[in-house]
Amino acid sequence: MRKLISLSVALLASVPIAADAASWQPIKPIEFVVTSGAGGGTDNFARVVQAIILKYKFIDQAIIVTNKGGGSGAEGFVYAKMQAKDPYKLTFGTSNEYLLPYVARLGYKPADLTPVANMAADEFLLWVNSASSFKDAKAYIDAAKASPGTYKAGGSQSKDTDQILTGMIEAATGAKFIYVPFQGGNAAAVQLAGGHIDSNVNNPNENIGHWKSGAVRPLCVFSPTRLPGTAKVVGDMAWSDIPTCKEAGLPVDQFQMPRTVWLPLGVPAEAVDFYVDILKKVSETPEWKEWLDRNLQTPRFLAGKDFTDFIVADDLKSKKVIEAQGWIVK
Amino acid sequence: MISRFTAELATAVGTATFGAVVLGGAVEYGIGWDSAGPEPGAFPFYIGAMIVVASGVNAARTVMQRPLAGRVFLDRARFSRIASFFGLAAAFVLLSVYLGLYVATVLYLSAAIWWQGRYRPWVGAVCGITASLFFYFVLEKGFQVPLLKGPIEAMLGIY
Amino acid sequence: MENIASLFYGFGVALSAYHIGLMLVGVLLGILVGVLPGLGAPNGVSLLLPLTFSMDPVAAIILLTSIYWGALFGGSTTSILFNIPGEPSSVATTFDGYPLAHKGKPTEALSYAFLSAGFGAMVGIILITLLSSSVAEFALRFSSPEFFAVYLLAFCSFVGLGGSSPFKTMVSIGFGFAFAAVGMDSVSGNLRLTYGIDELLAGISFLVAVIGLFGIGELMLTIEEGFELAGIRARISVKDVLSTAATMPRYWVALLRSAAIGCWMGITPGGPTAASFMSYALAKRFSRNRDKFGTGEPEGIISPETADHSAGTSAMLPMIALGVPGSATAAVMMGGLMIWGLNPGPMLFVERPDFVWGLIASMYLGNVVAVILVLTTVPLFAAILRIPFSIIGPIIVVTCFIGAYTVGNRAFDLWLALGFGAIGYVFKKLDYPIAPMVLAMVIGDKAEDAFRQSMIMSSGSMKIFWSNTLVASLMAGALLLAFWPLITAGVDRLLGSVGAARRGHT
Repeated sequence: MRKLISLSVALLASVPIAADAASWQPIKPIEFVVTSGAGGGTDNFARVVQAIILKYKFIDQAIIVTNKGGGSGAEGFVYAKMQAKDPYKLTFGTSNEYLLPYVARLGYKPADLTPVANMAADEFLLWVNSASSFKDAKAYIDAAKASPGTYKAGGSQSKDTDQILTGMIEAATGAKFIYVPFQGGNAAAVQLAGGHIDSNVNNPNENIGHWKSGAVRPLCVFSPTRLPGTAKVVGDMAWSDIPTCKEAGLPVDQFQMPRTVWLPLGVPAEAVDFYVDILKKVSETPEWKEWLDRNLQTPRFLAGKDFTDFIVADDLKSKKVIEAQGWIVK
Repeated sequence: MISRFTAELATAVGTATFGAVVLGGAVEYGIGWDSAGPEPGAFPFYIGAMIVVASGVNAARTVMQRPLAGRVFLDRARFSRIASFFGLAAAFVLLSVYLGLYVATVLYLSAAIWWQGRYRPWVGAVCGITASLFFYFVLEKGFQVPLLKGPIEAMLGIY
Repeated sequence: MENIASLFYGFGVALSAYHIGLMLVGVLLGILVGVLPGLGAPNGVSLLLPLTFSMDPVAAIILLTSIYWGALFGGSTTSILFNIPGEPSSVATTFDGYPLAHKGKPTEALSYAFLSAGFGAMVGIILITLLSSSVAEFALRFSSPEFFAVYLLAFCSFVGLGGSSPFKTMVSIGFGFAFAAVGMDSVSGNLRLTYGIDELLAGISFLVAVIGLFGIGELMLTIEEGFELAGIRARISVKDVLSTAATMPRYWVALLRSAAIGCWMGITPGGPTAASFMSYALAKRFSRNRDKFGTGEPEGIISPETADHSAGTSAMLPMIALGVPGSATAAVMMGGLMIWGLNPGPMLFVERPDFVWGLIASMYLGNVVAVILVLTTVPLFAAILRIPFSIIGPIIVVTCFIGAYTVGNRAFDLWLALGFGAIGYVFKKLDYPIAPMVLAMVIGDKAEDAFRQSMIMSSGSMKIFWSNTLVASLMAGALLLAFWPLITAGVDRLLGSVGAARRGHT
């Protein structure tokens, strides 16, 4: 008898899922939860995806973008955790989804969200002020090694990607910088252009304006291959003329920031497939490619196992630095 | 009736308590001053301390100087008006959290205009429903700014 | 004079029927979002952002900035009529705007606000037209110590102003700083004062606090007197608008001083909110009608409004030339710039002169259009005050809470707004000043960040605040303002005793 009851309960419970199995389609408006403030990198990412979906009518339903950038984005992830089983809440983020809980006591764990897809990778470069004498990465690192704790490396936020990368450089070379956290990459760019700090590790689109005006100079890119883009940006320099950091004698071969999309836990697998399909379509439009080109982001569409493998690998690499710096909160 | 003396003293105790809570929260993050400047808890610590000390002075001045003796903070009639206004507003918030802002708006406006404004019940209801519809069409439809919704909207199939 | 030529080129770009149409649409939409509860310029701009994806960048930026101008004007309307600031930068407008409107002069109050705002905007635009290139260079000289000094300057101009007990002022300031500290600390990456409560992760929103303190707190004070208040019988006519305009030149000192403060704070960039507070404070300090401030003194409306708008417009320059957004709305527009394929930076002036000068030219037109449109709505808005209080009162309550909710889509903010309402009511009744708390909330965490960044840069040496002439003169100015009451008192006493001595001799 008991068996029968539990069987019928199981059957009942499985009914809605079975109904969804055909193929999941949204029947009401979808909310894009952005884990940054308005105008931030993640905000632009989500709004471009929204605009492309609208333009090609990939989804019939309205899309509402809400910013929940409090606590470096933790606000959005905690919100997603509380929306468990709701396939109408798509959360946009970076690697902050799995890195934030290491450094702050938060109301969510990385496993509280369902990974959907990674859509691009943002590159990092090492930049110095043009008035400085450093023409290549090696010279700068050597100078920093010669007088530890005098060179000021700026970046966006504290214990976030910029400081993790600075930590990697220190671990790989033995140099020691003073890391100065600013409110965002744009502020770090202006501080470098004004000569108030000695270097930063900004994304290309955060510094390009100041590179063009001749205020800052790129030394190397944290990527195994050089950047695409052979058109001359400044003088006879194109993006592709910037050496990789490995070539330049700085042994940090790869550091990139993923642009990730998530769903709450407990959503039907068909809903995940639906969004993967839509996002894949978005990533194939000319508008998306144009946006990536303009911002010098590398196209990298990952979903399913590829994406979870990437998360595990990226998590491991960053965690090493976070542990070494002693940032882990209990 | 609440005397000004009681109100001053109660407020000073309240602000001091708040200051103490800030102090407690600040201590967790280190309140020292190292080579990289003040630690994260330092500013909140001094702020908490400032609130506690200033609240103490306020309380002491209230007790010692007594220039407030006999002055009234709220008489009975005013107190009951404030209590009914604030109580109704609190009820509005509570209703909003469980039933959503639209339903709460209808209920609150109906009640407030009827009880506090002494209008006929239908005036309040009309105002409530009109306001709710106005917000729905302007915010939700026009500007795609979603408001808090509850079970009744879900039943009606409004998202 | 090269800039003047560029400006005429810009007018050539901006002056087309299509662009002027977009401007009208933008300004109207902006006034609407500014006046409507729960909506602000960021909503209007982000709503239309996806639409601009397929537009030409010049047309797109004209549309979005026009919304911004409209919303800035609209935001002052609710400050004056209901004591609910529509935008953070119109908080200071409530101090005298609301009392004047409730003395039965809403038309005058609104007209003063709009006319001075229009004047401030014009000064801001003229400044960026003439000084576009050097302003960007000047702004590059600002680093954390300078930012800290600017915030200190704004703060010092405000302390020691009110007549309240200094210890009550200290409690109020402490509350403001404490609220500002809640949430993520960007210098250390730690969460502070959240006590493990998830709702406090995002911090306490300044707008929610202001809605509670001013909107709900003020309603409670009104309601003490009874629910059956009649509407305000205000005489409303277009003539009042014109006669108010005629008295404007009388306030030329306040206008010029406030515009200068606004431009300075817009470029440095301290932001429009800090600018309006500082301007209000200095007006009160130097005005002959000092005692009338807070009761509906025109100078108390003109000063913050002029500074707010000159800061709002001049802040566009750091945005396009350096990529530093001065406000939430500017941040959204910068996102737009990136989407349209433009990178903010000094080279934008060279690469896309049509964009930059088209934008600057459109700012002249957009603000003129906004002032005219918004003035024609004054009688309409002022008429709202005629509705009996027992109907409009509850509607304002609902409006406040909806506004609080839309700030961050958080149900928790509804409770916060209610709590701030209670604080606002009690503080006001017991003569705790509220303005210092609000100012502390606006600049508290920014000032702390700047201070700690400076300390990191200097390895803990305070000398960094005196390390160059720029920061040193800012610090000296801040200290001068802080001790101004003592200085004037000292001078008065000195003169007084000299005078008394003379009298004694004769």
